[in-house]
Amino acid sequence: MTPESQIYLDYAATTPIDPRVAEVMIDCLRVDGAHGNPSSSGHQFGRRARGLVEKARVQVAAAIGAKPQCIVWTSGATESDNLAILGVARFNADRGRHIVSSKIEHKAVVDPLKQLEREGFSVTWLKPDASGAISIEQVRDALRADTQLVSLMHVNNETGVIQDIGAIGKLCRERAVLFHSDAAQSIGKVAVDVESMSVDLLSVTAHKAYGPKGIGALYVRRTPPIGLRPILFGGGQEAGIRSGTLPTHQIVGMGAAFEIAVAEMPADVARLREQRDRLWSGIEKIGGAELNGGEQDRIANLLNVTFHGIEGESLQFALRKLAVSAGSACSSASEEASYVLRALGRSDQLAQSSLRFSLGRFTTESDIDIAIDELQRELPRLRQVARS
Amino acid sequence: MVAASLLPYSPMVIDHFDHPRNSGRLAPANDVVEAEAGSIAQGALFHLSARFERDALVDVRFETYGCPHCVAAASWLTQRLTGATADDLARWEWREAADMLEVPAEKRGHLLTLEDTVRELASAWRSRMQNRD
Repeated sequence: MTPESQIYLDYAATTPIDPRVAEVMIDCLRVDGAHGNPSSSGHQFGRRARGLVEKARVQVAAAIGAKPQCIVWTSGATESDNLAILGVARFNADRGRHIVSSKIEHKAVVDPLKQLEREGFSVTWLKPDASGAISIEQVRDALRADTQLVSLMHVNNETGVIQDIGAIGKLCRERAVLFHSDAAQSIGKVAVDVESMSVDLLSVTAHKAYGPKGIGALYVRRTPPIGLRPILFGGGQEAGIRSGTLPTHQIVGMGAAFEIAVAEMPADVARLREQRDRLWSGIEKIGGAELNGGEQDRIANLLNVTFHGIEGESLQFALRKLAVSAGSACSSASEEASYVLRALGRSDQLAQSSLRFSLGRFTTESDIDIAIDELQRELPRLRQVARS
Repeated sequence: MVAASLLPYSPMVIDHFDHPRNSGRLAPANDVVEAEAGSIAQGALFHLSARFERDALVDVRFETYGCPHCVAAASWLTQRLTGATADDLARWEWREAADMLEVPAEKRGHLLTLEDTVRELASAWRSRMQNRD
């Protein structure tokens, strides 16, 4: 896929909408589609929209092994994370004000937790080992009598490392501590099952799985019920947990995207693993490259690589034919190195000399060929210029 | 992570970055002087080596670890310094590179490091000449 002659290798940032998903969304958007308010049960327009919303709820629930009534629509994973963390912590504040999380969470988890710290909560920030893994022992040691919530991501967005959420969930359940997981990167890449993972709350989003941006969901276990204080107030939609008119076309898109993602996961993963491994072989041949995150337990479509001996901004600019993400938070002179790579033990300089390549459903063999060619031409050239 | 965005590099920066002039290092010799300033940790490291004949530089080479502005500035400088005298080197100021290459304000610290390298090259050259005398 080569819009504007760039090769798109940034699927972990977002994915294009699958044409099959776009089609069902467009059907909703037509005048004779589904413009009714799903909450307007008094007429057929509303009831038609409600029917589509509930069908999508079943699709999303099925993708994560949940009951449909446990799905709460949100605007995306950021809102889901905020609702889960702020909602649970504030509702249960009188039961304990300690939360366990990690230094490699997405900002959508980190920042609500920092807000809770300002509100008087205490957060234990676990540091992963060099491979990016958080161990169950670390979680066990961090739990306290006043711990009310553990929030740990399923798949890391920068390294692709998969955490052992099932084991951590089991521990949390034994200790009667609520467990939230951000699974924004997981759908269609690794199996997600809220029951076997023993999660109480799970954040998902459509746009990382070939669905539209602006729609996500929070899984909230209903038995026994979880106390959750809303962060949005209004019309009382979604059983009062998340007010706001439901965007039918977005929800329909998410449902279709999740259904396709799960159905095609085995084939997608096998193809992407092959393409990713071929890209890595091409990079390894050049030398001076190091993988960030462990060799095992990573999703199949992602490589995060540190390139030794090359300054980060020059690396990005030399490889400008490739649409990838960089290990710095900003490409200006005041680069802030990725806090995730720093947590894995990388120096600022090495974190800045790192790139994330993430492949996806529309990545072609030719895209990989071009990427390898670019890397094999530019990296030795930059190293030669920098040879001090 | 953020998308690897294209900074607003000037056409001259892009040209010198994509096609660096005079990159590399001259082999040590009696008529070759060298200078280095900066560090990888600081984000910019410049190495210059130059061959002189009588009172002028006749061949200048660079090696640079740094951003595209750094690479382009060093590449441009090697052309600018060819034919220069030791006095020219001692007088050279980073602003000339900043103006020519349209280097943004936040990157100008790196050009100061490049200026340090040029000054160091002038000193090395003068010491060499004195030793010869």
